Amino acid sequence: MRKQLGFYVDAKRCIGCFTCAMACKNQYLQDTGVIWRQVYPLKTEIYPHRERAFYSLACNHCANPTCLNVCPARAFYKRDQDGIVVHEQDKCIGCGNCIRSCPYGAARYNPVLKKAEKCSFCWERIDAGQQPACVLSCPVDALRLIDLAGFEEPNAVQYPPGFPRFPSLNPSVRFRVATTPTIIRRSRT
Amino acid sequence: MNNMELSLVFFTVLSQAAIGLVILSSVRQLALEGPAGNVRMEWLAAAILLLVGMLASLFHLGHPLGAPRALTHLGTAWLSREALGVGLVLGLMVLGFITAREAVKPGLALAAGAVGLLALFFMGMTYAPPGYPALSNALPLVFFLLTAAVLGTAFSSYFAPAEKKPLLARILGVSLLVALVVYLVVPLVWLSGGTVMQQTGTAYLTSPLYWTRIIIGLAIPLYAIWRSGSISFWVPPVILFGELIGRVAFFSLSVHASANIGGL
Ligand code: SF4
Ligand code: SF4
Repeated sequence: MRKQLGFYVDAKRCIGCFTCAMACKNQYLQDTGVIWRQVYPLKTEIYPHRERAFYSLACNHCANPTCLNVCPARAFYKRDQDGIVVHEQDKCIGCGNCIRSCPYGAARYNPVLKKAEKCSFCWERIDAGQQPACVLSCPVDALRLIDLAGFEEPNAVQYPPGFPRFPSLNPSVRFRVATTPTIIRRSRT
Repeated sequence: MNNMELSLVFFTVLSQAAIGLVILSSVRQLALEGPAGNVRMEWLAAAILLLVGMLASLFHLGHPLGAPRALTHLGTAWLSREALGVGLVLGLMVLGFITAREAVKPGLALAAGAVGLLALFFMGMTYAPPGYPALSNALPLVFFLLTAAVLGTAFSSYFAPAEKKPLLARILGVSLLVALVVYLVVPLVWLSGGTVMQQTGTAYLTSPLYWTRIIIGLAIPLYAIWRSGSISFWVPPVILFGELIGRVAFFSLSVHASANIGGL
């Protein structure tokens, strides 16, 4: 398999603090309403505990990106060297087709520029040998950068409950699922 | 529903009406005996409808001047193919209007009908993205074919000779009946699908938009045709209104897959 960078989302560690999402905003100073990384709480039907669990999600840099396929203006390309899906804003005409198409809600509309945009995987930082801002910022190491070509973690899953299943896109993301919280009861004696 | 989607409502409905109109005109002319009717004006009307629709479509672009770029990804983007297909149909319509005398040349009528159907297919694929599980299938194509059938037949009655009007009324009656059944059944089928499909089905069945479209756009015209056996003058605009409302429902009530991230 060719090199394909992806995110490893450790829902067992994530505490839902939004630091990753804020680091992304700080890195790119995005316009109001534009969100590249979002932290989604799991609904109680999936995680029925008083404590909450979360998935921190951005663009999944899919193996077969629908955003790239549907864009009429060729505003996306997938990098040969690492599989990152890049959106070139100067080519975008703001038709919104990628936004409608991506089932993960990763492509967003920028109402100021009247164009689409999405997570870039911090490819400029990657090229400079650095980690993406979100990965670097997580205080509990719940986000990791992985190369799916050599990734072998037996317990990692691609489609945990709560993450939409779209095998035709083959999203480059793997999860460690959240586990039942440890309940410590105080003795009444 | 935002302004971008409203422009798509007008683009899709008007272009489908225009394509339906030339297909019906070609069928009347090629497959039926007798005079074809006021074909020249019919093709002009179709070209104007399509042109207005295409102008409306520019408003769904953040950068309308970049519209020509929309033709650069014919390899995989259905939207590029749709733009090309619709542009070709417009060219054929204008050619048909310019060259028509008693009727449009048979080869041209056939070509316009065939390219029109192809453009409808491209449109159906464009609006069936993975992001909308309830629509990521053949349904948009079915909806668009029905729109072309009902509006094309309805407006064609304005241009058809008197002896062919009863046949048009029968075609329109059957098309409306099929559309009514499809639109009543589809939301119920969605209710038996996954979470996002169920949410879409519920959004439809509880929306006044959906029921307005069913009653005004389909049931009332169907009843009128059944009672009178002809297409009254007021029927085509009423069906057009119903289709526009129905398309607003299509764009605003369908639930996006990302709305359910974190849920089952
Ligand atoms: S997650 Fe969406 S925006 Fe990102 S590569 Fe996949 S299809 Fe494209
Ligand atoms: S909004 Fe821009 S990037 Fe998205 S499909 Fe349209 S032209 Fe391409």
